[in-house]
Amino acid sequence: MKKLFYSLCLSASLVGGAAHAETVSILMEGVPDTEYVKALVPEFEKETGITVNLEVVNYAEMHTKLVPQLVAKTGSYSAIVVDFYWVGEFAKAGWMQPLDERIAADGFDTSVYVPKMMDLVGKVDGTTYMLPFYNYAMGLLYRTDLLADEKNKADFQAKYGIELKKPETWDEYLKQVEFFTKDGQYGVVNQGLRPDPIAMEWSNYLFANGGDYIDDNWVSTLATPEAKAALEQYIANIEKYGPVGAASFSFDEAFNVFAQGQAYSYITYNFFRASVDDPSTSQVVGKAEIAAVPGKAPGQGGSLNGAWGWAIPKSSPNPDAAWQFLKWVESKDITVKRALAGGSPTRTDVFDDPAVLEKYPRMAELKKLLLESHNFPTFTYTPQFVEVLGRELSLAVSKEKSAEDALAQSAKEFDELAKKDGKQK
Amino acid sequence: MGAVAARSAIEREDRRFGWMLMMPGIALLAAVIGFPVIWALNTSLFDYTLIMPGYDNFVGADNYARAFNDGEFIHAAKVTFFFVVAVVLIEFAIGFLVALMLNDTQRGKNIYYLILLCPLLMNPVVVGLIWRMFLHPTLGIVNYLLSTVSLGPVNWLGDAGIAFWTVVMVDIWHQVSFMIVLLLAGLSALPKEPYEAARVDGASALQSFWHITLPLMRPVIVVTLLIRVIFAIKTYDIIYIMTRGGPGVATDLVSYFIYRRAFVGLDLGEACAMAGILLVTVIAITAYLHRSMRAL
Repeated sequence: MKKLFYSLCLSASLVGGAAHAETVSILMEGVPDTEYVKALVPEFEKETGITVNLEVVNYAEMHTKLVPQLVAKTGSYSAIVVDFYWVGEFAKAGWMQPLDERIAADGFDTSVYVPKMMDLVGKVDGTTYMLPFYNYAMGLLYRTDLLADEKNKADFQAKYGIELKKPETWDEYLKQVEFFTKDGQYGVVNQGLRPDPIAMEWSNYLFANGGDYIDDNWVSTLATPEAKAALEQYIANIEKYGPVGAASFSFDEAFNVFAQGQAYSYITYNFFRASVDDPSTSQVVGKAEIAAVPGKAPGQGGSLNGAWGWAIPKSSPNPDAAWQFLKWVESKDITVKRALAGGSPTRTDVFDDPAVLEKYPRMAELKKLLLESHNFPTFTYTPQFVEVLGRELSLAVSKEKSAEDALAQSAKEFDELAKKDGKQK
Repeated sequence: MGAVAARSAIEREDRRFGWMLMMPGIALLAAVIGFPVIWALNTSLFDYTLIMPGYDNFVGADNYARAFNDGEFIHAAKVTFFFVVAVVLIEFAIGFLVALMLNDTQRGKNIYYLILLCPLLMNPVVVGLIWRMFLHPTLGIVNYLLSTVSLGPVNWLGDAGIAFWTVVMVDIWHQVSFMIVLLLAGLSALPKEPYEAARVDGASALQSFWHITLPLMRPVIVVTLLIRVIFAIKTYDIIYIMTRGGPGVATDLVSYFIYRRAFVGLDLGEACAMAGILLVTVIAITAYLHRSMRAL
């Protein structure tokens, strides 16, 4: 009798729970852009009556937390955020719901996104699985005060016969790196730690030289003169124009060197731009700016793109509510508010918004950076290829392999992975 | 005759009772150690990837063959071998020296203990991060101190030749107190009489160390070395935090390599095979040291 009573109580409480308003649960990374979303969530809850539960964890924990929920028939996450690293894996495993029907039914306009963003964290083989969330494309941090100095201008003009100004081509930038390596100051600081820091940073060198990772048939193009030039320039920058130890720096250590005013330039994630003006972390407040990594000619950027996307997993317990949230969080109104709080937009109309431009004039340059950026190949084995590339680049930097051998090995292993994944026929 | 049978019946009863008392312990061991090991060894026989998890493709010893033919894995194993030999020998030398000195100390022993134990109590991740900051080539304190005596700057983690020894040094800093504590415990348990007898016979300090301390300490030394070797083979955290196996492949230890094969390469089958090879190696070393200890 007692048992019956308890089980009645239990089932009553379960039914009671279900009758409550709906909850959208999302696993997110503990980064500033997540905080900006979090601050706006009460607006959504008030509008729709849907409760939003953001579970915020470290990057390192995310993948391991996500996979079991994605494999399950019904997982606990209504929506997820996807790093571009994982897009290939998640798409291949079929863990994400196609969004095209929902987009069409609600007339949600995806043409406002930067096209490269949609390629990276939007569409996979023509099907839309994600809405781009925020970007972490890489740009060139450089010292405006050093460029404005009259003596530097005169010396540079005398040495190279060209004007010293914000670099518009890669060649011009390399000259500046050489020029500013003087008086105990470095022309550049690099992040040579295996695997991601070096692989991501060197990608900018590759694109800036007009190179790329793959051709249209997913065949590696790393065994090319462009890639070789990029790697030789990278090694020279670490050896001749950078601080001792750059070959082992992660991005925080490299940024510290730049923030201490010891280097003229640093190619890094564009969100570091905000830290430059924070007096608690930087001694170059107001003295540095971010630009698109210059390419072979003006207008051809060399920046590496990077971004997160919103997706609804197949295992979502309540995809309709999740879509309602995605539609809201990526609406013009909310994305502008996120950008004003300091977020990194992915929509062109947010970059063009007068209020955003007024508060952050650099948004114009950041838009250019994204429009000219290049994508890393995303397929099932992206993380593994980053591992291979990081190892080979590091071997070349530490002189245990020639640049040519390191690139040939990377190309060979890329082709093997691409074949294994069925990308390459 | 009947008495003997009765006794053996009681014995049998006792034995059964003994087994029953041990059952919970054995069951627990089987669950937390036996099961994962058997699961991993079983997985190593299949083409099991995290993209297509499943036991559909039995490949037998294929994963093992691939591991032995993988130049990188062999390289990581070699680096690990040198790492283990370097850290264990140097830690033993320093540890024994400090333990001998501490053993004779009369005052302030607890304070020495406390200070020596500090590194050991720290999380390896914290140790790695602290040392990464100390060793920063331009902003770190180590190169700054060297510069005050006009030395350096040393490229601690960015030079393939130096990085290995930097990692060895940090591991020694972190783990040497483990050696000290264990050896000191052994030393303080030694009987006093042989030393007194030796002194009466006119033996020098070096002679009594060589002929009394070393032989008496041998079992403790073997156990200490054994434990340290096993821990050193498993070193992972410091590499992950400090070098990620770089520069190049100079500090690529086998545990970190296996982790990457499993969670970056998503190839769980091959990673399990490599872990199996590592397990067999460790067991072989343990058995060898155990036997040589019993022979003493």
